[in-house]
Amino acid sequence: MAELTLVQALNRALRDALREDSRALVFGEDVGRLGGVFRVTDGLQEEFGEQRVFDTPLAESGIVGTAIGLALAGWRPVCEIQFDGFSYPALDQVITNLAKYRGRTRGRASMPVTIRIPSFGGIGGPEHHGESPETYYAHTAGLKVVAPSGAADGYALLRAAIADPDPVIFLEPKSRYWSKEEVAGSTGELGRARVSRQGSHATLIAWGAMAFRCLQAAEAAAEDGVELEVVDCRSLVPLDVETLAASVRKTGRAVVVHEAPLTAGFGAEISARLMETVFDDLKAPVQRVTGYDVPYPPAAVEDAYLPDLDRILTAVQKVLDHG
Amino acid sequence: MAEYVFRLPDLAEGLEDAEIVEWRVKEGERVELNQLLGEVQTSKATVEMPSPRRGLVRKLHAAPGDLVRVGEPLVTFEIEEEPGVVGRVPQEARPARRVRLRLNTK
Repeated sequence: MAELTLVQALNRALRDALREDSRALVFGEDVGRLGGVFRVTDGLQEEFGEQRVFDTPLAESGIVGTAIGLALAGWRPVCEIQFDGFSYPALDQVITNLAKYRGRTRGRASMPVTIRIPSFGGIGGPEHHGESPETYYAHTAGLKVVAPSGAADGYALLRAAIADPDPVIFLEPKSRYWSKEEVAGSTGELGRARVSRQGSHATLIAWGAMAFRCLQAAEAAAEDGVELEVVDCRSLVPLDVETLAASVRKTGRAVVVHEAPLTAGFGAEISARLMETVFDDLKAPVQRVTGYDVPYPPAAVEDAYLPDLDRILTAVQKVLDHG
Repeated sequence: MAEYVFRLPDLAEGLEDAEIVEWRVKEGERVELNQLLGEVQTSKATVEMPSPRRGLVRKLHAAPGDLVRVGEPLVTFEIEEEPGVVGRVPQEARPARRVRLRLNTK
């Protein structure tokens, strides 16, 4: 398959899923006639008709509630919440019903629902358009949480999410939407991290757009003779602790990077898992480089909020200096 | 590459036209979002015009002293990508760094 942007790869994944599974449905705000505000659903309504690709009212709770009902009736809904900051009105349906349905029915009713959410910052969006909601979902048992960093994983993991019998929260890094990558076009596997760069001195751990920023930081570090390994989690739930642990066993040092605020961010979970599994191999305390504990800032200052190379490299120096 | 035509907006209620006072940018120049493009004189005030887009100024449609009617083209931009409805397309290039790393500092 060709080199595609993340937007094109996601579009291809939706198209292929709709073609191969007649029970797959795509719906959300502006996904039909407009083709999505980022063009991810471009041309789908034209090809599959208004019965399978349709616009919804501006009511996120209703979108997810509809998905739950359709899933109960045997459909495979893929719904879009237009932006991260608008996913919160749907949290009630997600937490109260979607995540609990399989357990509530003793396994009789699964929820093969995928909720796509353009997420994270870095595009200079206004308020409600740059949030990192992964921890809310990761903390809700019964959901899977996926966040690819580029087009190849975007295709493979969206296909896997749609095929999965359980609800998947699929967080698309907006700031990576226009990045290009060779896309193989096969379905991936949820719950597998990827070592995206080999290194020996320390491990950088991230997901979404920060996984790409960590690659840039590793490039910069290499200019100073420091070889950083980068692990792209890809999936937060399930979390591939084995791959993370194997890398940190090798390097002895780890820095977790995320856009979300520090306090109770998913970096805390990863730090704890590493402490529990590779404590004896750690040569330095695990460091976290994150957004600040403030509401997501206006576009004019978001570059100061998002972890940049200097903040990542400063944390790397700290783990290198320890012990 | 896409083209974006910036047309004279209604700078005050019921305004019909405005006179170009001066341009602060030249054709062929790259401009940032909200960078000052120039000044126009309406019947009510002299108004500074920030750029609605980031991109390359391909054409300035009027010269200082010209009268432009509301809705007529002012500036044609060459813009890099359509970011969709919200925000901007981020740069792919590696951002700057100042921190240098040292191995075996002890």
